[in-house]
Amino acid sequence: MKRFIALLGLILFFSSSLAQGTLVLARAADTTGLDPHTQTAFASFRLLELIYEPLVTLDGDLNIVPALAESWSFNDDSTVLTMNLRQGVTFHDGSPFTSADVKASFERILNEETGAASRANFTSIESIDTPDDYTAVFNLNTPDVPLLAAMASVGAAIVSDEFIAGGEDFAAKAIGTGPFILDQWTPEEVTTLRANTDWWGEGPYVDGIEMRVIPDETSIVAALRAGQIDFALLNDPIAATLLIGDSSVQLNQVPALAYHVLQLNASREPMDKLEVRQAISCAIDRQEVLDTASLGYGEVTGPLTIPAFKVPNDELFCYSKDVDKAKELLAQAGYADGLSLKAIVASAEPPTALSEAQSIQAQLAEVGIDLEIESLELSVYIDRWLAADFDTAVALNGGRPDPYTMYVRYFTKDGNLLKVSNYVDDTLDSLMAEGRAESDPAQRLEIFTQFQKHLTEMSPWVWLYHDFEYTAQQPYVSGFVPNPTDSLYSLSQVKLEGKE
Amino acid sequence: MTTATNVRKKPAAWQRLLRNPSGFIGLIIIAVFVVVALLAAFGISPYPPAEQHVRDRLTGPSSSYLLGTDLFGRDLASRLMEGARNSLYVALLSVLLASVLGISLGLVAGYLGHWADNLIMRIMDVFFAFPALLLALLVITVLGAGLNNTVLAIGIVYTPIFARVARGPVLAVKEMEFVQAGRSLGANPLRLILKHILPNILAPLLVQISLALSWSLLTEAGLSFLGLGVQPPAASWGVMLSESRGIAERAPWLMFFPGAAIALGVLGFNLLGDGLRDVLDPKARGR
Amino acid sequence: MFAYLVRRILSFIPTLLGVSLLVFVAIRLVPGDAITATLGTEAGMLTDVQRQALERYYGLDKPGWQQYFVWLGEALKGNLGFSIRHGKAVISLILERFPLTLELALFAMVIALVIGIPIGLLSAIKQNSIFDILGRFIALAGLAMPNFLVGTLIIFALSVYFRILPNAGDYTDFATNPLKNLQQLFFPAFTLGFAFSASVMRMTRSSMLEVLNEDYVRTARSKGLANRRIINKHALRNALIPVITLIGVEMGYLLGGAFIVEQIFALPGLGRLTINAVSQREYALVQGASLFIALNIVVVNLLVDLLYATLDPRISYDDSN
Repeated sequence: MKRFIALLGLILFFSSSLAQGTLVLARAADTTGLDPHTQTAFASFRLLELIYEPLVTLDGDLNIVPALAESWSFNDDSTVLTMNLRQGVTFHDGSPFTSADVKASFERILNEETGAASRANFTSIESIDTPDDYTAVFNLNTPDVPLLAAMASVGAAIVSDEFIAGGEDFAAKAIGTGPFILDQWTPEEVTTLRANTDWWGEGPYVDGIEMRVIPDETSIVAALRAGQIDFALLNDPIAATLLIGDSSVQLNQVPALAYHVLQLNASREPMDKLEVRQAISCAIDRQEVLDTASLGYGEVTGPLTIPAFKVPNDELFCYSKDVDKAKELLAQAGYADGLSLKAIVASAEPPTALSEAQSIQAQLAEVGIDLEIESLELSVYIDRWLAADFDTAVALNGGRPDPYTMYVRYFTKDGNLLKVSNYVDDTLDSLMAEGRAESDPAQRLEIFTQFQKHLTEMSPWVWLYHDFEYTAQQPYVSGFVPNPTDSLYSLSQVKLEGKE
Repeated sequence: MTTATNVRKKPAAWQRLLRNPSGFIGLIIIAVFVVVALLAAFGISPYPPAEQHVRDRLTGPSSSYLLGTDLFGRDLASRLMEGARNSLYVALLSVLLASVLGISLGLVAGYLGHWADNLIMRIMDVFFAFPALLLALLVITVLGAGLNNTVLAIGIVYTPIFARVARGPVLAVKEMEFVQAGRSLGANPLRLILKHILPNILAPLLVQISLALSWSLLTEAGLSFLGLGVQPPAASWGVMLSESRGIAERAPWLMFFPGAAIALGVLGFNLLGDGLRDVLDPKARGR
Repeated sequence: MFAYLVRRILSFIPTLLGVSLLVFVAIRLVPGDAITATLGTEAGMLTDVQRQALERYYGLDKPGWQQYFVWLGEALKGNLGFSIRHGKAVISLILERFPLTLELALFAMVIALVIGIPIGLLSAIKQNSIFDILGRFIALAGLAMPNFLVGTLIIFALSVYFRILPNAGDYTDFATNPLKNLQQLFFPAFTLGFAFSASVMRMTRSSMLEVLNEDYVRTARSKGLANRRIINKHALRNALIPVITLIGVEMGYLLGGAFIVEQIFALPGLGRLTINAVSQREYALVQGASLFIALNIVVVNLLVDLLYATLDPRISYDDSN
């Protein structure tokens, strides 16, 4: 009995209850900066999309839905985009939101001195007219249907024109129109947000959000189980899926847009030979990579992970493992005796990368390809990736809601990252151009189906699988809608009813 | 003093080490690991350590897989043997590097004195003033991860300790008559150091070496935690242990066995160090 | 004594200069810079003009050696630079993290001593008894497990079996809430202290054995003085002197931050600050933090030497020496 009391005392000593009304959220990676236009890290988006808002946003099924724009329309040849803006919206400092802010924001993105990486998505914008306070007209230099989807990102958030004109430091101050107002950001520790009671939408229903950094995902899972946090973002499928079957915690999962891929560098021997690339594609059982690296939680995928544009896997080149065909292709290319390659892998980004590499390594060995794994610290990896200093690279590349924006950087003749993908041909380039100008959904599907079939057959990369975006929450948290882009925007709808 | 003890025909140091309980247990543990590592080096293990049996992945210990399998269905026992080989390789080579480099620097500094002493020991101070993990991290991030770079990183981290251990006694020994006499007779300084000074400082150095071996196992594990260990599919105990952190709840054997291997290895080197101290330290004799 | 102190403090200068130079060179040899660390693969989308603008922003537009001397000049004036990511001066970041690091180090040390010294003393007094063997084994077990393993096991046991976890990313300092602060530091400190207790135990045990074999203790024993008194009066004090050196060395390292433990237990200490700065390529922060850590280590070493001298009458730092 004494021992029991001592134990109870110990438990009481080390437990504590949560503040009411505030959503306590934990994640492993922190925001890297507050300027929405220059940030590219997903971890930064997760904070900034609560503070800043773009003109349009994506719902849980990736439909483009209104945010600061209530409605929009393209002209017939998709060269003029007219946005009707929401009225009565104010920034967190009380100033009203008008078309002048839209114009100033996009001009800021387009200004090279800003250093906005997302600028590349908006170079079709020739000028912006503001006929009245609540109408913004984008004049484009070329038909650009995907522009709308590119705008549905906090990278295209609307900031205050007075701020831009006043030379305010966006890295230090975050004044947006979003559902939450930034109180304080202590990097690598905690970010506190309070509800924006003047927000134009319904909600938020919590007093605020306390966003904590717990760098170790196993510790995040532990904190959820101990009831110390309400909500968590999880990256590592191995840690996240521990919560499947845990009755006290609810795991949310939604198929991710991001895809796991083995990039082959077609500018290097022997990957400059089509047969070698195809052999690698045929030698890999994608399901086996998924089963070992992500414990099977995911789905084998072609180049496009957007549900509306998926092509059945059996229509894609060599999506079932064929060792004989792989060997035959290698022999045709003059590598009957096998060959040696290296793969660069970031040691923990994604957490499954090293496992994927080891599965691929074992499978390629079956056809006589000796793959040496080089695991690198993340920034070293990115440095070499950007310089295309690799034979092959295991990567998790972010997806976009539109096929054109997703691959324009890699597989068009003037793609910004063509120096990384190192592969383009006329078919790909013209299909992309058609897809950009086409506004009929059925036609676009046809174009991008062809695009995917051709791309997998040319095998510049070997697309493997996509997994899930995981979030986890206590059972009393309601109203959150998981989003394939991992967006936390719907936290504005979250309620904490029955939280003790 | 050396001659005096030899006259009494005491049992040789290694015999005394075997009679010392700590030393004996330590030696046995290390010997077992060395044998396992050698077997692995000659390719003798239940399965090839990198062979994947995907259908049998994450199965617990059984008759076909003695210690169970990992994510890829690789046999854990075979991987542990391979791990023994790589972990011992890292430990032995890094400590060899640190001790040879450190002792040479310490001897030279102590023997030459003056500005050479000053310069060398100041440089050692710089390395001493570095947290070990940060230093190793910087070395590996610059050079890239890999078995030999791990050796180099850990070797550099432990060099100053050996320099200090070697230097102190040299300062004392070099004032002793026989060394002074040799010096005045014009004997080659290098020979003097090797022949007279080194044997006299061997005892503390051996103890230090066996302790450093145990730290080296732990440092390697720490580097693996940071993702800077040996490259797959090769494995070390540290890599296996740190990889097991996420999966251990589903497959506890993946954490238990590598953890036990590291713990036993560290224990073994420590016990050996204790034994050596008891046997070699003149003050401790007769206890 | 005074001259010795001055000499020692002067000797810090080359050491610290060496550390700063070494870190400066090493961190720049590492591929990748603050731009790739912040933008990731998107850095490839930048135009030349954009990249130049960012290089100016991050202060990467000057040649390396020039950056060093600029940095050194500022450092001498007490300005260790500015962290763009944190939006704060490097020195204030370090000073914010330092109290936690110091507290954790002291707490860990107390735990190590509380476990290590009694076991070490009893082991020595009852040499080769069951207690001796068992005590040594427990202490060695702490030493033999990598601390990320101990930490992981503790967190797992707490969250799964007890459904509690004080370390949920909401570190609270002592001044704000002492109780909560101690709860949060207990397990990390235990993880560190348990590992260190083995060294304390062994050092205590062996120096105690040595002292017990010294002539004066034997004499006292043969005179029939009670064992307890001998141990209290003569042996203990002398036996604990070497333990102080050991504590000093360990303290120096702990003040450099215990990265792994801070990472697992989500504590914002100096170790995490430094290692994250390395991966973010925050040059100024890496330089400033490692310089500060080095300063800690040399100062602690000096303090230990001084303490040693006051405790052990055989050592003196007179000018004549």
